[in-house]
Amino acid sequence: MTNQIKVLAIDDEVDFCYFIKKNLTQSGLFDVVVANNGADGIKLARKEKPDIILLDLFMPDIPGEDVAAELKDHPATADIPILYITALASNDEIVEGESNKMGDNYIMAKPVRTKKLIETIMKILGQSY
Amino acid sequence: MATQIPRKRTIFFIRLMVVITTAYFILLSPVAGKELEIYGYIFIAVYLMTNLIVAYIPEKYFHDNRIFYGFILCDSILLPAGIYFSGYIGSDLYLMFFFIISLTTMSSRFGYLMINTFLFCLIYLWLLHEKGVLTGPKAGAYLIQIPFIIVIAIFYGYLITTRLKDKDMRINEVRQRYEQVVQATDVLMSIVDRDGKLKFANDIFARFYGYHEDKRLAGLTIAQVNAEDASEADKLLDYVQSVYQKNDMVRYESYNKKHNLWFANTLGPIRDPSTGDVLDVCVISKDITDRIEKEKKLNNTVELLIKTRDQLIQQDKMAALGRMASGIAHEIRNPLEIIYMGIDYLENNIAHQDPQIDGSIEKIYKAANRADNIINNILSFSRKSEYKITQIPVCQLLDNTLVLANQALHKGHVTVKREYETESLEAAGDYNMLEQVFLNLINNAIDAMKESTEKRLTIRASGKIISEIGYKTGYRYTDFFRIGEKKIVVEISDTGKGMSKDVQSKIFEPFFTTKSVNEGTGLGLSIVHMIIERLSGTIDVTSEENKGTTFYVNIQPQIKKVVAEEGQYDKSDQSSGY
Repeated sequence: MTNQIKVLAIDDEVDFCYFIKKNLTQSGLFDVVVANNGADGIKLARKEKPDIILLDLFMPDIPGEDVAAELKDHPATADIPILYITALASNDEIVEGESNKMGDNYIMAKPVRTKKLIETIMKILGQSY
Repeated sequence: MATQIPRKRTIFFIRLMVVITTAYFILLSPVAGKELEIYGYIFIAVYLMTNLIVAYIPEKYFHDNRIFYGFILCDSILLPAGIYFSGYIGSDLYLMFFFIISLTTMSSRFGYLMINTFLFCLIYLWLLHEKGVLTGPKAGAYLIQIPFIIVIAIFYGYLITTRLKDKDMRINEVRQRYEQVVQATDVLMSIVDRDGKLKFANDIFARFYGYHEDKRLAGLTIAQVNAEDASEADKLLDYVQSVYQKNDMVRYESYNKKHNLWFANTLGPIRDPSTGDVLDVCVISKDITDRIEKEKKLNNTVELLIKTRDQLIQQDKMAALGRMASGIAHEIRNPLEIIYMGIDYLENNIAHQDPQIDGSIEKIYKAANRADNIINNILSFSRKSEYKITQIPVCQLLDNTLVLANQALHKGHVTVKREYETESLEAAGDYNMLEQVFLNLINNAIDAMKESTEKRLTIRASGKIISEIGYKTGYRYTDFFRIGEKKIVVEISDTGKGMSKDVQSKIFEPFFTTKSVNEGTGLGLSIVHMIIERLSGTIDVTSEENKGTTFYVNIQPQIKKVVAEEGQYDKSDQSSGY
């Protein structure tokens, strides 16, 4: 279990988190923890120190970008890569851009298929899949 | 105009008064010789008869000066004759006074009066001589009457001719004043009769029609004066007739082709003062070209404002749609994401033994994909895409697009005809965007030809100099193109089913489609339209049902024209808050 990648998914869509957890866990490669709002996400990130954080940009309590900024500010979470998963941009747009990045963070547009998500996470973490 | 005194009645009563008085003199004269009595009766009879004629002659003939003064002359012979025949005491004196007054009133000049007086004196001397009074004891008393007559004639003559002169002067002054007013205005003024014959025209009128003195115009008709524009002259004559008919003022506007001027014409009746009938028509024409030009400009401005307003409304609608689209996209993509993730989960956790379950999952997946495509298309409206404007080899771009469409063309059995003016045509735009535009139009053409017997797609590309501004369809009236400048035109023509006018007017509206649910979202042409606009171009369409459709994509030949527009779009994108 120690070589499993710890993923924190922060998204207000409860069912999305449910399936992320199910699908990623099923692959056997990931250990997934879930938070359904920004505040819980920040707390959980500090506590769990995941390998990667999947973050929704548009959340009712704290916007994704502010959550990301706070995580980057804190020494405990500053080095954890963040992958935004957002419904606000289209795949075309992200692919057309120079990199799949928004600021220092990575970005992916919804809808996301499990296979593609795993590939992206692996690419970010520099691990072969 | 002041009404005149009815002359007939006046003359009748004055003459009646004269005949009664004179008859009194004649009939009651104590000295009247019996041999003269018959002449007296004849005089009374003649006088009464002439007055009877007066009673029966209609009023209007008395306004004819020949008749009026004819009666006066007749009276001035009859009256002194009557007085003379009466032989009443002092009848000489009455006769003398009558002559003096009638001579002085009838003489328009002092010189004539003096000649008349001299002649009268000779006649009077002869009468006195015949009576034999010049040799009698009272000869001196009779002879003294001659210088007396002369003195009185001079006195009255002077008074009357001076008064007449004064009156003439005043009349002339008034006439001059009217004349000055008529000549000082800037309007064309004329008086015409029923037949359109000119009776008067002011200098401006004469000069306008190329006559240097108004005398040369006299007697000409409107048609002769305005021979260059017969229809206009006819129109004026018609209006002149209507003034006669209505006996009222008529107004109308006319255009003079030769001088390129507009006139406001007022036709007023000149009436007979006694009967009120229309005698002539006064035509006043005022140059209103300035006003008409201003009205035209105003109308153009209003039209432009309406167009601009429509354009702004359209832009506003698009911006609102953009804002709504991003909201919808977010709201739909989240549940869509759950569906995708759910499909992944199901696929990993079922036995894959029942093809119906696998098929069902596949259907769910396809439906989700369709929804995702619609969202992507909607987002194209609001998204601030990064695009790069470069000089694009148009023919190469079209050929590449045809390669992309190759499979669909092949499947649809469509033959392609390319007509490029020159291979070196260049246009300014974003390569991928233009490719999207042409691919969309080609795919539409292929779809439109599904049921056609002849399936031919023609692609033309050429550079054109803009000769007129105007779009056959589409809602934007832009000034991307100006007359005299060059534009690149790509025509995509099919032999498909064509479109009705109604459909043509709606094809660029978002979500308008004639295709079935699975074939199109109704956003393709809206996106094409939007892209072309972003590239400072326009798109037109012509179509005939069962014959085919042609789209004309007009794009800029040079980058600098597009860049200016690009800036504007950046601004509007920011204002949409996206």
